[in-house]
Amino acid sequence: MARYLANRLFTLFLTVFIAATLIWIIPRLSPVNPIDAMLGRMASGGGTIENSGAIMEQLMERFGFNDPWYVQYFLYIKNTLTFDFGLSTNSFPTPVAQMIGGALPWTIGLMMVALIITFIIGNLLGALMVWEHTPRPWKAVIPAMMVFTSMPPILSGLLLMYVFSSTLPWFPLNGAYGINVEPEWSLSFIGSVIHHGVLPAMSIVVVTFGFWALGMRGLMITVQGEDYTVLAKAKGLKKRYILYKYMIRNAILPQITAFALKIGMLVAGQVLVERIFAYPGMGKLLYDAILTQDYPVIQGVSFVIILMTALAVFLVDLIYPLIDPRIRLGG
Amino acid sequence: MKKTTKLLLGTAAMTLALTSGAFAQDVSRENTVIFDLDRTIADPENFNWMTDGTGIRRMHGAHQTMWEPLFILNYNTGELDPWLALEANSDEGGAVWTIALREGVTWSDGEAFDADDVVFTVNMALENEELTAREVATLRGQVASVEALDSHTVQFTLNAPNPRFAVENFGVRIFGSFLIMPEHVWSAAEDPATFTFFPPIGTGPYVYESSASNRAIWDRADSWWGAETGFMDMPEPERVIFLESGGEESRAQLMIAGDLDAAQNLSVGTFEAIQAQNPDAMAWYSDYPYAVADPCARQMEINTTVAPWDNANMRRAVSMIIDRTQIVNIAAEGATTASSTMFAQYGSMSPFIDAVVEAGHGLSPTADVEGAQALLEAEGWTRDGDYYTRDGETLSVEIHVNSASTEYTRTIDMIVEQLQRAGIDARSVPVENGVFWGEVLPFGAFTMSYSWLSCGSVNEPWASMGRYTVADVVPVGERSPGFNNTSRWDGEAAEAYSAIVDEMETMALGDPAIPGMVAEAYQYLDAEMPFVPLVQAFKLMPFATTYWEGWPSADNYYNHPFFHWNSGHQIIHNLTRAE
Amino acid sequence: MSDPTNAAAPETAAPDMAGLTKRQLKRMKRFDNPWNNPKLIWGVSLLLGIVALGIFGRLFWDTDLVFTGAVMPSQAPVGFENLRGQVGLASSPLGTDVAGKDLLALLIVGAPNSLYVGVLASLIGMSLGIFLGFTAGYTGGRVDDVIRVSSDVMITIPPLLILVVVQASFGDITLTMMAVLIAAFVWQSPTRLIRAQVLSMRESGYVQMARLSGASDRHIMFREMLPNLVPYLFGSFIANVTTAIVTAVGLEVLGLGPQRVPTLGRVIYDAIDSAALTRDMWWWWGFPTVLLMVMFIGLLLINLGLDEVSNPRLRRL
Repeated sequence: MARYLANRLFTLFLTVFIAATLIWIIPRLSPVNPIDAMLGRMASGGGTIENSGAIMEQLMERFGFNDPWYVQYFLYIKNTLTFDFGLSTNSFPTPVAQMIGGALPWTIGLMMVALIITFIIGNLLGALMVWEHTPRPWKAVIPAMMVFTSMPPILSGLLLMYVFSSTLPWFPLNGAYGINVEPEWSLSFIGSVIHHGVLPAMSIVVVTFGFWALGMRGLMITVQGEDYTVLAKAKGLKKRYILYKYMIRNAILPQITAFALKIGMLVAGQVLVERIFAYPGMGKLLYDAILTQDYPVIQGVSFVIILMTALAVFLVDLIYPLIDPRIRLGG
Repeated sequence: MKKTTKLLLGTAAMTLALTSGAFAQDVSRENTVIFDLDRTIADPENFNWMTDGTGIRRMHGAHQTMWEPLFILNYNTGELDPWLALEANSDEGGAVWTIALREGVTWSDGEAFDADDVVFTVNMALENEELTAREVATLRGQVASVEALDSHTVQFTLNAPNPRFAVENFGVRIFGSFLIMPEHVWSAAEDPATFTFFPPIGTGPYVYESSASNRAIWDRADSWWGAETGFMDMPEPERVIFLESGGEESRAQLMIAGDLDAAQNLSVGTFEAIQAQNPDAMAWYSDYPYAVADPCARQMEINTTVAPWDNANMRRAVSMIIDRTQIVNIAAEGATTASSTMFAQYGSMSPFIDAVVEAGHGLSPTADVEGAQALLEAEGWTRDGDYYTRDGETLSVEIHVNSASTEYTRTIDMIVEQLQRAGIDARSVPVENGVFWGEVLPFGAFTMSYSWLSCGSVNEPWASMGRYTVADVVPVGERSPGFNNTSRWDGEAAEAYSAIVDEMETMALGDPAIPGMVAEAYQYLDAEMPFVPLVQAFKLMPFATTYWEGWPSADNYYNHPFFHWNSGHQIIHNLTRAE
Repeated sequence: MSDPTNAAAPETAAPDMAGLTKRQLKRMKRFDNPWNNPKLIWGVSLLLGIVALGIFGRLFWDTDLVFTGAVMPSQAPVGFENLRGQVGLASSPLGTDVAGKDLLALLIVGAPNSLYVGVLASLIGMSLGIFLGFTAGYTGGRVDDVIRVSSDVMITIPPLLILVVVQASFGDITLTMMAVLIAAFVWQSPTRLIRAQVLSMRESGYVQMARLSGASDRHIMFREMLPNLVPYLFGSFIANVTTAIVTAVGLEVLGLGPQRVPTLGRVIYDAIDSAALTRDMWWWWGFPTVLLMVMFIGLLLINLGLDEVSNPRLRRL
């Protein structure tokens, strides 16, 4: 057990280190110099820019782009390991950590809720598609429901917005909480957050549960033929008992791995859904940073994503042997 | 199962009960005006506008409600409307400027606003190279020194004569102006480049209430210097909110629902759909083209160093093939008008535009394909099937276009079609925004491209014309200074053009000789066509009269409707509650 | 795949034989040939329909109408009215968009393109995932470590970052390039899941059995273990095709897809960007969405059908 743990811990650190290096390299492969792009954005606002050469030099110096690459890299690694992501270039001098801090809770809240709902609904429906005692109407309805899976989330979001916000004024059109509500731990604030989160969460749920259902269906078919299921049936156990305790319990194992991977990825957020609902999440933060070549923000957000994913994977690797006793440790 | 249902219903009821409480507003909707913000506030608690290159740190209300400009340029009359200052005058040569400040202006914390604040802020800009906002860089490039003559008079000594000094720096010519900061707050800052100025204060009638990444709230102060000195009444809205909207579709829905009083740019079709559902929605014009022109008229830049487009006749042929009316109708859905010159067509610009047109250098809104083909044939090209060829080479061109907006790509798609039909194998090359502005344009890495680099003039012709002089020509692969003359237009005609334009540079605004000189210089532009003016830029910014009236429009032209500019003060002051 | 069918069919079908109605008997007969499966046939027909739309559409309709300004803009489908009260004409039977592109032509060109990206991306991603997952799970040791770490690393890198850089470096990208890029982000999950499955199967009875009886590694991997994973793999394949198509749409909506090639995603993007919902131009976003759904239903039916073919217990009488 100790060796297994040590092995996984080493993998965790290795993964984080390699990934952190990659996210430092990748943006720098782009042909665009971030300061050139920044001047470009200034120029696109109209009129000439006086002293553009001096501004260029100033900014290159300020953000350390004139330093040799290895100095930049080691500084980055050193700072990142201490969770100091530096200052945003595009929103200078705002600390990247502060920007992430502002977006992370929203993303985790919204995406986590959406992911859990999706996971439960999707797997249940997937299991019901295979179970031989599922009522007839359900067998016909479930595949039909999955049609939404083929829809891009931005479209589902807009349709929901159109129906439940414009036509029926049940839910607000945008934001994470009411305009005049102050963010504080009060009932009205929490209520407002839930009220604002329903549509964005729904638009993710309707288009993604189908993926879980499809995967679960495939797994259930395999489990259905396994000896233990046949044996349980032969023993005359209750149908539902067999479904939950024998079939779903065994089929769901790979889904849990997928769930863990998604936890990491959910931090990246859903750029498009965040955009149409003007939801202050990580997806938009990252997307804007990529488009504006804001290296420190890209690195900071990506690092959080990397850390979350790597940790989730690590945990799954730890938990997996416990829930699936067929796996030998040390492998 | 029943249990679950009950639980669900219970939760839903609780949610609704909770949320109803959340909407108990301390300022009613009737007393609030809500403006659209078309971007995220990346750093809601940073109000250091001097390090913010593109101005996003100001447009969420800071420079429309809190920080006031010295003057506001009126796009209709071309005059500078005084605000914090009373007047600006230069000496004979135009190198020494005196600005008289208004008396009785106070910061919202009660301190007096005076010449010391101006001198302090200007000196801070001059001394700190790290302050890189566009307005700071402009001022630093122009001013040699500044001093207070008395408590309300400031004198600037410039590096070179500049008749446009006041309007360029303090007049909200385009988007922003050099904003004066309170000395008693900023003097405590150790490093002006990292100072966040939070919480911020200003001289305006509104004070900072709160901000988050998707909205900023400003509340009316109890008192304001303007009301006390009789400059202007207190504005009516008790609260001003800048709210982030998420793209055209979401913006339209907010507008229909009455959750926005003023929205950012929309397309005509969307505006018509909004109007069908919300009759209170209005635009600049009550009918086509609905939209108002913004100062950056659209053009197609041609790299004059790339064969065969290094030949002026070839460039003119391209201009003649382009059917501007079709671009207006298809790419802009009728929301704009064809350009007749390089200039934005404002009332204040009409003397210069008229002079150019009268001299016969105006552009036609329709195409002259036969004339263009005659030009091509005179250059030795012959039509061989679909395309023109010469010495076995097909006449082809790649047009770089920024893929960030369908306006850009659609316009270029249209031009590609027109060139194709006329026999030129044109192709559009869409590139990402950062690459387009960071790599393609400044370094001349294009043959033709869609842009608005002659932007600048709104009340005088030099700001635009001065961007194409030979002084700014650099080889392809080197960065064009200030994004000027990215066409790299050079040669005899360009030199003749530059000579006239350079002379214009130091002439006083309103000098009666200028329109004639514009026409004279323009003949070279027209003959050589380093860029092809296309159509006027169009901004359809709808307003709703549900809660507020008094919005700017062609019939109520107190100024342009760009509420994200520093001139937003005027709009807010003009609003009256709808009955 | 035929092995399990023959082995399992008598077991489940026989005992119930007595109480069958005529209709059920008729259905039974059809099952004599397992490939004669209605779901499978329907699914394949739907996908072939999309391909046929691409092939025959080009013969009967002018695909040059996909260009800007080719026809009157903002026209409703034939017989319907647009917001301005103009009735749609037969010259553009499915209506037009605001830039004057013909919707029928866009669908003819765009639908097969979208299907191509989806299938190619999923094919590459899944093959890579299956190969690496099996290798890692079965071989173990160093190979396993390398594959595991690299898939973990690749899971963590945000796809957007790579896409933006690729687009900035290469300018416009092609459909195939986009498919390859999407594939680069779908192989990690199958790799991990298959590895986990293989690890657990390695200890299961039949694999142990095969190993004891001296079967080769390859035999065990491909003859014993893979068939058991087929239902799951095919489910994931279908899901991945859809994911890839939707991802492609998502990238196009962010302006990161091929710019000049019409795809269903591109059409939906343009529609959303021009507020087609608010403008009541339902045909603009509706038709491409319906085609996406048709593709999905086709793939889903094939999935269900294939499972029935390989696993007779699933057949409904």
